[in-house]
Amino acid sequence: MKKNLKYKILEGISPIAAMFLAAALSSIIILAIKKNPVEVYFTMFTFSFRRMDSIAVILFNATPLIFSGLAVALSFRVGLFNIGVEGQYLIGAFMAALAGFAVKGLPWFIHFPMVVLAAACGGGLWALLPIVLKIKRGVHEVITTIMMNYISFSLIHFFIADIFMDKQQKMLMGLGSPIIRMPKIQPSALIPGMHSFLSIFGINLPKHVYLNWFFPLAILLAFGIFYLLWFTPFGYELRVVGHNRTAAKASGINPQKVYIKGFLLSGAIAGLIGLSDLLGYFGYMDLDFPKGYGFTGIAVALIGKNNPLGVIPAALLFGFLNRGAEGIQTFIGVPMDTVVILQGLMILSIVIISEVMVRYIRNLEKKEARLS
Amino acid sequence: MIITEMLASAIRMGIPILLASLGAIYSERSGVVNIGLEGMMMTGAFWGALGAYFYGPFMGVILALIAGLLMALIHSIATVTFRVDHIVSGVALNILAYGSCRFLSIAIFKMATTSPHVERFRPVDIPVLKDITLLKPLVSGISPLIILAFLLVPLTCFILENTVFGLRLRSVGENPWAADSLGIKVLYMKYCGVLLSGLLAGLAGAYLAIEHTGMYVEGMTQGKGYIALAAMIVGNWSPIGALAAALIFGLAESLSFRVVEGGAIPYQFIKMIPYILTIVVLSGFVSKSTPPASVGIPYDRDSG
Repeated sequence: MKKNLKYKILEGISPIAAMFLAAALSSIIILAIKKNPVEVYFTMFTFSFRRMDSIAVILFNATPLIFSGLAVALSFRVGLFNIGVEGQYLIGAFMAALAGFAVKGLPWFIHFPMVVLAAACGGGLWALLPIVLKIKRGVHEVITTIMMNYISFSLIHFFIADIFMDKQQKMLMGLGSPIIRMPKIQPSALIPGMHSFLSIFGINLPKHVYLNWFFPLAILLAFGIFYLLWFTPFGYELRVVGHNRTAAKASGINPQKVYIKGFLLSGAIAGLIGLSDLLGYFGYMDLDFPKGYGFTGIAVALIGKNNPLGVIPAALLFGFLNRGAEGIQTFIGVPMDTVVILQGLMILSIVIISEVMVRYIRNLEKKEARLS
Repeated sequence: MIITEMLASAIRMGIPILLASLGAIYSERSGVVNIGLEGMMMTGAFWGALGAYFYGPFMGVILALIAGLLMALIHSIATVTFRVDHIVSGVALNILAYGSCRFLSIAIFKMATTSPHVERFRPVDIPVLKDITLLKPLVSGISPLIILAFLLVPLTCFILENTVFGLRLRSVGENPWAADSLGIKVLYMKYCGVLLSGLLAGLAGAYLAIEHTGMYVEGMTQGKGYIALAAMIVGNWSPIGALAAALIFGLAESLSFRVVEGGAIPYQFIKMIPYILTIVVLSGFVSKSTPPASVGIPYDRDSG
């Protein structure tokens, strides 16, 4: 029992070690543009944690990344790579925006769940073709999902700019160019901020912070997926297939069915990624709708060790990085994109350090086995 | 005439896919999946434009090669030495490439998404052939990099099939344990495979930036690195096959430009064609092709 704890601790510290390694490597780049890395990291911390509203921004930033990390982690668990989270969430957000503005006159308790469902369906729909092709034709899901990402970019562009563009906006052409965007979503589908709730506890958030109820929903979903994976028969099947496909088949599990269910569920969660921004911030979908959550989700899942509960702190870490990036750009003129480099380096260091750690633990075990 | 012009345009579009695809062949034949090609190509494009802007096209190519090589070095350290999952490492590399290109573009060009225009290579004519009217669009006024790419196809064939190096590279990709027992340095060969793919992806990026657009534009690779992987699979891991597949993708792209000029179909749908083609082609052909037996499996001497 005691030995187990030691290994658990060793595994647990590997993400932290990876963060330090990535930060050290990024320092080289910061030094290259003649800035002081210590000052950069220090500014990131002070800017992020100095005030309550800044912490709320971090939580807002982390919200889509929790969904994204969960979507990627779930696909990893079943032994598949869902690199298509990016496209799935854009389609999901588009479907939600469509259901949000086109359906009118419903009470919020019907309209809001409907919009969320539309998003999940959109994401699942976009995951369908890759998994069907994987099973029927043996096409590797990595390439198909990436291709689906590019297809979704063009499709969304077409729908927003050519089909559903807000015509009333166009009339204002004389007053500067209109944003190419879809009509505004009905108030019955929007999600309220957490401001009034938090003010009960004496935390007063300013209006320019958009922290909304999708944050607690994301946390709830993470616990839900955790429960699904470790306490339900389906979750068991999913993990067995992910761990060893042949063994799963031998024990009477149909891996193909599990693949389909797991991948579609991953896509459905991916469909929810954009909702916090869409229903809690913009209120409409435009061509500049935030991109890149899908790829960051891969990093979040890896740092969270593909554990739904690990995804939460990992997403918070990235929320902090993005907030800190604004700080270093404003105060010391270091480009925000330093953080993207940091993210890439973090994935590499986390996977390398995990590998090294696994090997180290294996050697320790061997040694102990020999001694006893 | 129209046919040769179409072919010439297909070649221009297909060259970056061909180069990256040849690189993918070296990497996969040694057993390493290289999803990072996209990022390597993007880095190559950035450094190619940078070199060409400050020192002319030749230096652009040199810098692109070095940049591709360094990216490949990261991939090989992660996948070969540390046995990290090949796809995870490749995806990380692509994120790293995106971030570093954007960062450096701001730092050097003061613009996040584009570089200034750069000088191209002087176009060349192929002697003798250029006098044949029919072939004129194909052989006159073309980029020397196109000629280089075409020369690399038979060269790659020769290296893989007829040299000791090629034999060892392939054996490492088929059965590293057997290769190891014959005294072949498995890890060294895998490094060579990945590094060669980095060089070629860097060259593909240099072609894009210097010859194709004449500048670096963020996201200019547009998934060509992934399409190159598809071309390699369709071409059954052989250089000739990759050439044919790259030309098909090039043709699809050049056709799409013509359809856009027609204006009958919204251009967003035309832009999808290469990606849809990739999916269609993979789902139609992949069952016939045979990847190297141990591709994607990290080599661990103690297991297996």
